[in-house]
Amino acid sequence: MLKLQDLTKAYRTDEVETVALNNVNIEIETGEFVAIMGPSGCGKSTLLNIIGMLDTPSSGHYFFKDEDVAGYSESQLGVIRKQHIGFIFQSFNLIDELTVAENIELALLYHDIPAAERKERVAAVMDKVGIAHRAKHMPSQLSGGQQQRVAVARAVVGNQSMILADEPTGNLDTAHGQEVMEMLQKLNEEGTTIVMVTHSPSHADYARRTINLLDGHVVTESMRSKI
Amino acid sequence: MLLNNYLISAWRNIFKHKLFSAINIFGLAIGLAACILIALFVRDELSYDKFWSKADQIYRTHITFSVPGRDPMDMVMTPGPVIHALLKDFPQVEHASRLASQEPTIIINNHYFVDDISLVDEDFINIFDLEAVEGDLNTALKSLNNIVLTEKLAKKYFGSNNAIGKIITIDFDSYKRDYKVAAVIKDMAKNSQVITDALVAIDEPAWKEKDWMFDAWFSVNSHMFFTLKKGADIKSINNSWSEFIDRNFPKLPFGGTGAKTSDFVHMTSMSIKDLHLKAKGDGEYHEIGDMNTVIIFSTVAFLILIIAAINFMNLSTARASSRAKEVSLRKVLGASRKDLIIQFLGESILITAIGMIMAIVFVEFALPIYNEILGKTLRINYASADLIYVAALAIFVGLLGGSYPAFILSHFRPSETLKANKSAESDASIKLRSILVIVQFAVSITLFVSTAVVYGQMLYAKNMNLGYDKENILAVKEVYRDVVLKKLPLLVDEIRRMPNAISVTWSNFMPESGNNNNTLVRTEKQALEDASLIGSREIGFDYFKTYKVPLISGREYSIERGDREVLTDDLRKGLNYTGSIIVNESALRRLGLGTADNAIGKLVFISKGNPSENLEATYEIIGVVPDIHFDSLKSTIRPEIYDLSVNYGSVISARFSGSPVAFTEQVRKLWEQEIPSIPFNYDFISAAVAKQYNAEQGQAAMFAAFSCLAILVACLGLYGLASYTAERRTKEIGIRKVMGASVFDVVKLLIWQFSKPVLIANLIAWPISYFTMTLWLESFVYRIEDFFILGFCLLAAFTALIIAWSTVAGNSMRVARANPIKALRYE
Repeated sequence: MLKLQDLTKAYRTDEVETVALNNVNIEIETGEFVAIMGPSGCGKSTLLNIIGMLDTPSSGHYFFKDEDVAGYSESQLGVIRKQHIGFIFQSFNLIDELTVAENIELALLYHDIPAAERKERVAAVMDKVGIAHRAKHMPSQLSGGQQQRVAVARAVVGNQSMILADEPTGNLDTAHGQEVMEMLQKLNEEGTTIVMVTHSPSHADYARRTINLLDGHVVTESMRSKI
Repeated sequence: MLLNNYLISAWRNIFKHKLFSAINIFGLAIGLAACILIALFVRDELSYDKFWSKADQIYRTHITFSVPGRDPMDMVMTPGPVIHALLKDFPQVEHASRLASQEPTIIINNHYFVDDISLVDEDFINIFDLEAVEGDLNTALKSLNNIVLTEKLAKKYFGSNNAIGKIITIDFDSYKRDYKVAAVIKDMAKNSQVITDALVAIDEPAWKEKDWMFDAWFSVNSHMFFTLKKGADIKSINNSWSEFIDRNFPKLPFGGTGAKTSDFVHMTSMSIKDLHLKAKGDGEYHEIGDMNTVIIFSTVAFLILIIAAINFMNLSTARASSRAKEVSLRKVLGASRKDLIIQFLGESILITAIGMIMAIVFVEFALPIYNEILGKTLRINYASADLIYVAALAIFVGLLGGSYPAFILSHFRPSETLKANKSAESDASIKLRSILVIVQFAVSITLFVSTAVVYGQMLYAKNMNLGYDKENILAVKEVYRDVVLKKLPLLVDEIRRMPNAISVTWSNFMPESGNNNNTLVRTEKQALEDASLIGSREIGFDYFKTYKVPLISGREYSIERGDREVLTDDLRKGLNYTGSIIVNESALRRLGLGTADNAIGKLVFISKGNPSENLEATYEIIGVVPDIHFDSLKSTIRPEIYDLSVNYGSVISARFSGSPVAFTEQVRKLWEQEIPSIPFNYDFISAAVAKQYNAEQGQAAMFAAFSCLAILVACLGLYGLASYTAERRTKEIGIRKVMGASVFDVVKLLIWQFSKPVLIANLIAWPISYFTMTLWLESFVYRIEDFFILGFCLLAAFTALIIAWSTVAGNSMRVARANPIKALRYE
């Protein structure tokens, strides 16, 4: 699916250069479920942003589906991103002024999809994550768990082949966190590649592989054998 | 102490949000400045003639001649003999005086001047309180050989020397007399319709030769003022004019036996306080105002104020969420809602006060140009109540703009606002803000369309085909004076001989100067009672050639063809011969003379002299001209005859080629050589025509300027709001970008958000503009088509959108290009 080769990301201010990622080499196969772990400030989010094409590396290569996108412009990245990558955030990031259905539809809005088909796909995905009965509600009327389910629905409604989840359970209680993790697992079983940043070892257990980061380096990679 | 705390908080808030504060204060300053400028204009317009101590008792009589088949002729003047009948018939009248403004030649120590001298009755000083600086005003006008000068004229004639007792020779053409300066008075106030520079008493017998001045019932040449006795009701006079007219005026020759003079002549009197804004009719000595203009500009001022206040409200409420924390903390520390309302209102007033100081600076910078456009001397008098009005205005706007934000801000509950992840703003306040933006743009668009229509109408009027070619004609004035008339043939001859002269003529009128001479005309088939009252002008040879008017049929007067004018004196002597006459198309229709070609050679009979003399002259029609707009386009074209006048004229017109300056200098040299006693006075016909629209042009410019200001203030508000909204929507935009929205998608989204209110504003503004402007256009006889208004509406919509887009675009681009990660990572 993707391959990071000698990837480095440095932030420059006037005087100081901070290296967020240093010589990172990672390969993720299609259909994998990968968890990225590490303490605060280790570069997890920077890595996720680069994988998600929201940010560009300072040097190195990023092969996405055998295509080196490291030097791509923002708009070129945007085209690939909207086709292949779905996002799930810790803070849900739903638009307060839009209903649940409209929030989900947003992910289809910037593709050339006719309105009727959009409606159909939104209805299907709402059914799948179990929030169909909340379609007309505003995000503020939902619980955190429900909001995150909307976010998951939004991430997959465009048939994205990869989902990037940035601490998807961080703002949720245990029960709701569990729910979301099961949903991600189910998606993975259906073929979606999932890359997830998390602090929670138990949630990392859902992944088949865990990458540990420390100070911008990949420290360990551990595979969990399939049960 | 608390006040101090509020002030500090307010002050720091202003500085913390520099952009908002700048927009707020600048917008307010522009709005307030516009408001002050308009208020100064309106106050001046409303102040006219209110300062006389007897203002409540002073009236001026007006007369209307309603002749069958003609538009009524409204005059603000009164026939000379009316005063004597008025004093005889109405015991309610305390004092009465005529006022005839003349421009005689004034000779002092062999120096010649031409100035305004007013002929008045002795009672004039009992009606108007004039302030004598020197001499005895009470006795000054008792002698027919005395003159009263204003300080301005006294200084002009005698410098710093004492004027009292000095002799001034005045040549009124009818008579020439030495006047002794008996009194000097203070210059008269400018906000008056009764301004005069010098006064002499009317000597009726001396005007015998020109008896129409003061002794003709159907000729109007002077104003008439009177005061009512205390306790008398003006209605008792205004209700009995009809009887008054039938009792005193001679009978008119038309209408048949049963007709009364009051069927055709109407009189009324108007309070001096209303003259400036409400008097309607010809014959004013000084430019008058218009109530509609005052109302329109007052409305514009109010609207600009509203726009500025709306900005203020919008920007303050938009900022509400960022201040929610401060409010909550103050509440937690024990502030009541009232305390907070006082704090925020105080803050608004502080901002308004800063805006007001800026506004006053703007006003002082703008006043010189403003005064020049309006021809006024407006100023803010800081030593008077003006300062209180200005302060009151600032407080009013502060309260108006601050009350809603104060209400909203003080409403926040600490428990809700201190909780994160919740927009502090209610849907209601967002909705209100959209409505306010719609109102602002609706007002701006309406002003834009109105300005466009006013300008369009003015351009149309200025460029309308008048029927003659106004370019390259020099008009030499002052010809009516006896000394000039004696040399009229010589002057015309000499000018004609100048190498650059193409054609030279003379006439008893200047185009566009207003002419209300009318005479009775009938055909062979018509009886005297069926005669039509037709406008009459006197012209010399080659008139239509000079003005480039092609005749429809026949020819114009020429020396070679031996055209004769019929002299009234010959008629009186019983001499009877046929003169030549030229008529316009309207006259042909009125007289029922058929086509222009058929009319040539037909005879018409034209009344001459005073109506009582029953003199009629016989004329043969030798030419027919088209209807020509020799008068202002505000009046319809009347039926007219153009009578030949070989020896009389008031203006010599010369069509020339080449440089106007060189030609004028040549003519000036000739004039100064031939008529050294009278200063050379000239105009170009094209300039005289343009002058007709001076007032309109000034007002249109003023209207346009204020409309632009209103739009500018509205845009400032929109800009502030857009930058705020873009900030508020950062998270949403971030999400949309992650979902695949391009920069273009985001800009489109934000621009559409601000296009919607502008489009809705258009839907509101169009019908309002269309309705009011069609109403306004109705007052013009010749006006642009209604569909132009629709064009202007579309233009306004387009302009408003462009302005709104360019206002919002910068911010939108910035926000749209920002990296979404920052917006999404932290809440």
